Amino acid sequence: MVIVGRPRGFDEETVTAAAAALFATRAYDGVGVDDLVQHLGVHRNSLYKTFGSKRGLYLAALHWHVSHVLQPLIDQLRSGRDPEQFFDHVTRKGNLDLLLLAAVERAPADTEVAAVVAQALQLLEQAIDDVPMLPSGRTGKIALSELLGERVRVRALSAG
Amino acid sequence: MAHVRTENGNLVVEIEGLDKLWSLKSSLTIPLVNVRGATADPGMVKEPKGLRAPGTHLPGVITAGTFHQDGERVFWDVRDGARAVVIELADERYARLVIEVADPAATVALIEGAITR
Repeated sequence: MVIVGRPRGFDEETVTAAAAALFATRAYDGVGVDDLVQHLGVHRNSLYKTFGSKRGLYLAALHWHVSHVLQPLIDQLRSGRDPEQFFDHVTRKGNLDLLLLAAVERAPADTEVAAVVAQALQLLEQAIDDVPMLPSGRTGKIALSELLGERVRVRALSAG
Repeated sequence: MAHVRTENGNLVVEIEGLDKLWSLKSSLTIPLVNVRGATADPGMVKEPKGLRAPGTHLPGVITAGTFHQDGERVFWDVRDGARAVVIELADERYARLVIEVADPAATVALIEGAITR
């Protein structure tokens, strides 16, 4: 028997992007399904039907973040835009906060998240390695660590 | 209250105690490949549940049995909504299970760990 549910009535990509924004500001366990339903404006059953679980939505959001935020940043860096701008997007604007939180919080507990994070860090490291004239003049790995560390520092001090 | 375990590639949900009577089920066995995910969701119990058939619904006391909503079948066994876990299924009689377990976080970790490939 084929069971046809109510049409989703929402744009999956818009919802995924909004979830990425929410997960970038709060700990995973601090985001409940009530919060998701409220922030994303989607019915609870539709969320379950589309993403399977909160974790399913989180993984979709993380993948969206890598392809729609991280990749464009890397493309800009590679296309010769001012590297300072790249550093500004990461350290001051916090464009990589979801990746950062995923690395600190979820990756050690979730192998699928760990794999996405590892690949994203590798992409970043490679891009930084390939682009000369970065402010520190260091190689990818050290420069990336410096960059993420700087973001942690700026984020911590911005609450004051 | 339900007890959840994995066994031979299946998710086995055993309904405990008197809830067997209310829900008219003693256990459910679902192949893990048909399990899409699990979420601890204390807010789920406040959602509209649709039409009950068969089962028991005493609002504020127990929700147990098969409910029909938006063309979907949902199995409920919840007294204390704070410990509700939602298990989303595919290609099964039920679209999802909403069950109460002793430790929602541990149950979610068990199921998500078992279906992560």
